[in-house]
Amino acid sequence: MMPVPGSHLTPDDIDAHLAGGLAPAPREHLMQCPACQERADTEREIVALLGALPLMSPAPGFADRVMARVAIPEPLATRPLASIRRRIFATRRSTAIAAGLLALLVGSMAGSVVWTLGNQETLAAVGSWLAAQANQAAWIGVRGVASTFIEQPWFATLKTLAADPGRLGFASALAMLAYVAGVLALRRLLALPAQQVAHAHA
Amino acid sequence: MAETPEWVGLSDQEVVLMARAGREVAYRELIRRYERPIFALLFRMVRDRELAEDLSQDTFIKALKAIESYRPEFKFSSWIFKIANNAAIDHLRRRELDTLSLDGSPHAETPEAMQATALQIGARQESPLDTVEAKELGGAIESAIGRLRPEYRSCILLRHVEGRPYEEIAELLDLPLGTVKTYIHRARNELRHALAHLREE
Repeated sequence: MMPVPGSHLTPDDIDAHLAGGLAPAPREHLMQCPACQERADTEREIVALLGALPLMSPAPGFADRVMARVAIPEPLATRPLASIRRRIFATRRSTAIAAGLLALLVGSMAGSVVWTLGNQETLAAVGSWLAAQANQAAWIGVRGVASTFIEQPWFATLKTLAADPGRLGFASALAMLAYVAGVLALRRLLALPAQQVAHAHA
Repeated sequence: MAETPEWVGLSDQEVVLMARAGREVAYRELIRRYERPIFALLFRMVRDRELAEDLSQDTFIKALKAIESYRPEFKFSSWIFKIANNAAIDHLRRRELDTLSLDGSPHAETPEAMQATALQIGARQESPLDTVEAKELGGAIESAIGRLRPEYRSCILLRHVEGRPYEEIAELLDLPLGTVKTYIHRARNELRHALAHLREE
């Protein structure tokens, strides 16, 4: 009798065999080993029997019994609207207050439209004056920042540096390098964990 | 409820989103999709029809009440199977079950109760096997499953009856992958020994 090549099938090999993906070496062993063949056949039979177990259903009306004990939330979009509607029509007083507020809102809107149409020139003049004021304030701000900058003790050094293109280039390269290193460090620090964590609460 | 064209092709996640939007029909669709596998798993875990029905109800109620906390990046099936399995394991821990009786619940006190809780063996689809033979084989394997340790039972049912991959079983039972594989191999081994006499006949 010829010796059977390789060792007997491991449980993982049996799994692979059941899934139809057994590696060549154990497959060769399986073809020549009666013990492994019998085991593989039996396990295949058991898996087939398990797969053919009958499907079972709970008693009729199962869904109704479950639904009787589950409160369905109101649709998200209608929740606030429904709540407001309920509050408005809760009493006569709340309805009257809501109607008064609505009338005030509509009235003030209509009033502002009418006034705007009748005073377009005044509105244009006010608009121009506001723009001029904003422009003036912006210039004052820019001049203030510039004079503060010039008065700094390191400004003279910076000016000398800027006068020499070689030094300026070197300083720029250093700054760029520091910036790139900072970005890379931040990316590493802010990287999300790759693995997700199971969350089922039961 | 029959599957309407509206639901065909909708993933569980999409149905969950509709349920969250307050559509009762989406809740019912989730129940329709999972009532049979959940009930079958629980029945085979606890071996009592009435109890399996109660545990199934509890499972769905717990899942549907917590639907807002379900995270769609995980499979809904894993989530609900996990809740069901935990319910069964909790119950089995609280009450040590007697050995399986295919004639009905070991807790049934009257013949009617025995009949009502009896396991109905039948083929999933048309089977070429003779009915008697199928019943004998089906009964033998149901009986053998009933004698497995609960952890082995969960694993083997999820793997070979529900067709869940090893990784998913490990996640939903909170067990290392290697342990799940070992449990399934041991369970198959025990079933092999339990059914050996039928093979010899």
